[in-house]
Amino acid sequence: MFEEPFRWMEAISTRHSYVREKLSKGQPVIGIPYNEGAVILGFSPQPGKIFEIYDRIALGGLGHPADVERLRMTLLDMAHAEGFNRSAKDVTIGRLLQFGLAPALKQNFEEIQRAPYLIQMLLAEINHEDDAEFFCVNYDGYWKKFKQGTVISGDNKVSGRIQKNIDNTDFVSFTLNKSIQSALRIWEEGRKKPALEKESLKSTDDNDELDDEMEGYPTDLKEAFELWNLEVAILNKNTGRKCLYSTLSESEISTLQSEVIR
Amino acid sequence: MIENFEKAHGSGDFLELLKRSGHYPQQVLSGIPEKKALDIPQGTTVLAFHYKDGIIVAGDRRATAGNAIMYDRCDKVIPIDDYSLMAIAGVPATAFEMARVLSHNFEYYRRSQLRAMSTEGKVRALSKLLKDNVAMALQGVGGVSPLFAIYDPQQDRAFLYFYDMLGAEFQILTHVATGSGSPMIKGVLEHENLWGTCPLKDRSEGEATSLSIRLLQTAAQFDSATGQARPDDKIYPTIAKITKNGYQFILDDEMADIYKSSMSRS
Repeated sequence: MFEEPFRWMEAISTRHSYVREKLSKGQPVIGIPYNEGAVILGFSPQPGKIFEIYDRIALGGLGHPADVERLRMTLLDMAHAEGFNRSAKDVTIGRLLQFGLAPALKQNFEEIQRAPYLIQMLLAEINHEDDAEFFCVNYDGYWKKFKQGTVISGDNKVSGRIQKNIDNTDFVSFTLNKSIQSALRIWEEGRKKPALEKESLKSTDDNDELDDEMEGYPTDLKEAFELWNLEVAILNKNTGRKCLYSTLSESEISTLQSEVIR
Repeated sequence: MIENFEKAHGSGDFLELLKRSGHYPQQVLSGIPEKKALDIPQGTTVLAFHYKDGIIVAGDRRATAGNAIMYDRCDKVIPIDDYSLMAIAGVPATAFEMARVLSHNFEYYRRSQLRAMSTEGKVRALSKLLKDNVAMALQGVGGVSPLFAIYDPQQDRAFLYFYDMLGAEFQILTHVATGSGSPMIKGVLEHENLWGTCPLKDRSEGEATSLSIRLLQTAAQFDSATGQARPDDKIYPTIAKITKNGYQFILDDEMADIYKSSMSRS
């Protein structure tokens, strides 16, 4: 069936559509810098969106939880084996992606008899020059690096709006608190459809279907805090320890909630 | 890079990962005659005791090979993770390797299982490494006799352990010292604990630090394999504390003043 190039391309195209459709409800994960490091945050109905990978590397994922877990463990294994056999300084996201994860994801995606990974990942790193770097990885192994911060989301329009706002915000000069609050407001803005967009999409069946599925999902921060869990992970270059990763505690999240929702 | 990691796994055991990827340290050397007696490697002094806020761990800086002084800036107190420290006496190659394995083991477990390993688990992990190393120790090329200090945030308590080279663990409630210089200071530690100004566990950080410096200086007076501080070369003992805030080393800049005041009689 697949020996003809056209059919293979058709199968790949169908696969893209299938994965995108499966990821469409994936909630945004935002990665942004601040004056002492990097932050990854996101709301989700169930906890388990953001993880520590290595001393200076954090991961945010969306998609099927089993796939997120499998790739998280793969990254953990690669990072720890490399850090043990060489040095922690040799463990970088660039190396993990370029020589490890990306080729494997691409191969998996193009082997059309195998189930594809339903996943998008955002990785953040404080490099050894103490600068924050962000990487987006797609289900097909394609990855891209960002300096200013970035976002992943199942809805391309939402991620487009959030990315635009991230690019227009000088997060690097912000304190941790200001950076998180700004990112949350950008998250809220990103989820609101502009009026023009709403009108133009009104009659599209596909969007109606997606809107139906999204019904009951929080549209603003107040609802999001009430219905979902906010996870915030921080990589702070000034901790004085080798592991830069920490997370906001429940009480810190509560304080943040009261500051953000007035 | 990815081939060795394809199997499904979830135990959080870093040693299993090392075995799976073919990187587990060699345990038995062939062709080397076994020694009749188990020589405990000497040539150092490390000590630890409970004080008011947690545990203080200290070590001299000298590394020797027989009568030769090989190195005077050796760090024998090694952080394993945020809440544990290991002080080493024995063959440095094996000791440093154990510290590296242990460090990766704890971090790998915490990151993969999304929770820190229990204190009991950490204590057993070092015991297991020592047990796996028995063959090397018996052959006289890899014996290690470590001290292990942990702060358990859940129990809000510090734990101190001494190990023999076969992997037996002994919980220490007051003080402990190991290495060639330790016999010279064990009596002093006991005397200080019983009849000093107050028991060691009630001493402040400053008092505990000062006592550690004096003890290491005393050990160095009588044991050639224990290095004295050399302020002119900025070589001071390694001293770290472990408290509810995790481990913290006293930096060289601070050590200069602390050392100076500790060496005066007052």
